[in-house]
Amino acid sequence: MATTSLKQLCEMPDLLSGGHAACPGCAGPVAIRQILLAAQQDDTYVVASISTGCMEVSTTVYPNSAWRIPLFHSAFENSAATISGAETAYRSLKKQGKIDKKIAFIAFGGDGGTYDIGLQSLSGALERGHNFTYVCYDNEAYMNTGIQRSGSTPKGAFTTTAPAGKVEPGKRQRKKNLTAIVAAHDIPYVAQASPHRARDLMNKVQKAVATEGACFINVLSPCPRGWRYAPDQTFQIAKLAADTCVWPLYEIEDGKLTINYKPREKKPMLDWLKSQGRFRHLFTPQNEHLVEEIQQDVDREWQRLLTLEAMGKETAQ
Amino acid sequence: MDSEQPEGKVALVSGNEAAGEAAIRAGCRFYAGYPITPQNELTAYIADQLPLRGGVFIQAESELAAINMVFGASAAGTRAMTSSSSPGISLKQEGISYMVGCELPAVIINVQRAGPGLGNISPAQGDYYQATRGGGHGDYRCISLAPFSVQEVCDLTYLAFDLADAYRTPVILLADGMIGQMMEPVRFDHLPAPSPTPRPWALTGTPGRKRNVIKSLRLPPEELEAFNLKLQDVYATIEQREVRLEVTGPDDAEVLLAAYGTSARICRQIVERPLRQLPFKVALFRPITLWPFPTAKLAELAEKARGILVVEMSAGQMVDDVRMAVAGRCPIELLARMGGNIPSAAEITEKLITLFA
Repeated sequence: MATTSLKQLCEMPDLLSGGHAACPGCAGPVAIRQILLAAQQDDTYVVASISTGCMEVSTTVYPNSAWRIPLFHSAFENSAATISGAETAYRSLKKQGKIDKKIAFIAFGGDGGTYDIGLQSLSGALERGHNFTYVCYDNEAYMNTGIQRSGSTPKGAFTTTAPAGKVEPGKRQRKKNLTAIVAAHDIPYVAQASPHRARDLMNKVQKAVATEGACFINVLSPCPRGWRYAPDQTFQIAKLAADTCVWPLYEIEDGKLTINYKPREKKPMLDWLKSQGRFRHLFTPQNEHLVEEIQQDVDREWQRLLTLEAMGKETAQ
Repeated sequence: MDSEQPEGKVALVSGNEAAGEAAIRAGCRFYAGYPITPQNELTAYIADQLPLRGGVFIQAESELAAINMVFGASAAGTRAMTSSSSPGISLKQEGISYMVGCELPAVIINVQRAGPGLGNISPAQGDYYQATRGGGHGDYRCISLAPFSVQEVCDLTYLAFDLADAYRTPVILLADGMIGQMMEPVRFDHLPAPSPTPRPWALTGTPGRKRNVIKSLRLPPEELEAFNLKLQDVYATIEQREVRLEVTGPDDAEVLLAAYGTSARICRQIVERPLRQLPFKVALFRPITLWPFPTAKLAELAEKARGILVVEMSAGQMVDDVRMAVAGRCPIELLARMGGNIPSAAEITEKLITLFA
């Protein structure tokens, strides 16, 4: 797989144009731009589907579209099903000799459309093994409809349907570990990435596109509106997620797990929680124990990943 | 709408919030929902209020999950509700049909937006057929209530729970994005304490009684047809007893406007505060129950009318019920706006003059 240099990338046209209607400071379009740049190479075209959500609504306001590639939007629960159909048609046409172009199929979905309502169609497409890459841009709540909780919303975060008050501490449940759920499908390539490490994200996309079969990349997408921080802080927040290990950057290639970024000094969760207004209510005596629990959850997952990585190395020896 | 306001303290709330508050006051103790615009304020209001007032709020992982949670809660004997907007209501249809098959009460609020497909989030009335013709698979109808003010959202939501109980059926409250989002002064204090009917059929545990069975599977055709006939009997009773409507304007009106919900609000302005003097008398016929449709009353009014203008925010769906009720007694015309457009009073006035002056 050829790695494209930064200089080459700068000379390539953006496949998601400016002028879309995403909020200032939204990480979504940045991530999508990086993903499309990495996926669409000299000999490969990209066809994408996207489920209903922030990115779909803000980039495809009819009659305009910010996408310079063929894009298919159908509904909320079926980005992976839609791409399954398109990819199957492509394979058939190719077999019949009616198409000779090389096409990379990418399905996009937010966390609502992936962790929750779209999980069934995602799981089906992964199991059938369509040749495509699913990208979840995870902003940890239903931001498009006004910050409702999702399966991805972390414990302790405020949302309009998991309000924080005298009794309730925001969302009580843990964030669903979707990347692990997807990995359990035993597909050839699974990764977690973040737009603040563009090179890492783009490498992962290129690996996924070059891999035959179903691939999945979960991309953290910090949201100033829903997470309650200043729009110019998006990349600092994304970096903090990696430095606190709340969003570990890793990949699983044919079952072998590699952690792509290990912070020299793992920062405490307090730094993460204090950086965003959605956790503001946690710093009271009655919610103190939650901060402790959240730290333990993050530590456990980080340890799990370290263990899996070490096991992979052992097996290789 | 001051003249119609009941007594009590006034609150300035949106239609969505009014539905949430009225549901809680009606004794709704279970609500499951899923985000969709333009009804999110209802879900957020319930999320905030229902747990404080002895109820349970669950945000589901999909509309399918939400309606089936309501299915379960209702089977357990609880007053239960879900709400959504058009695309989400489409997803709920399977669950609604199963609840009909199980004779389970529930309230389903549809804050309509424009379709088909994703359409947009502007108000529309394109789900009339879906609401009044059953919506899902199989032979059934759901009582469909159409509020045209925030106060009426409150009153009809409360009523919906009683009707659902009385006939053991899902009841649809068919609002739209305009009614859901707009804020008006509303009174809640006149609503009596809830009086849910006894639920001897509910799955509450069997000690001391024979077991209850709730199911919609009826394999022998004779058994299923007997159940179908039983439903038809219930529907005949509903058609007899539960028709609700409002006629605004002079008794000797020559021309009738027929509209519900948001379009009826615009029409009422023409009757009560016309933009310009019309050379004929106009009244508004407004169904409050879309099913059962006020057929008899409309037939009676049509006897004396020169013509009827149906105003709808759809390609014309209620107009079918109007045609069936009028049965050729007078000409019927249609002003249809779609795509989330709301017909203006000027547009309707113009059409009236063109047609009837």
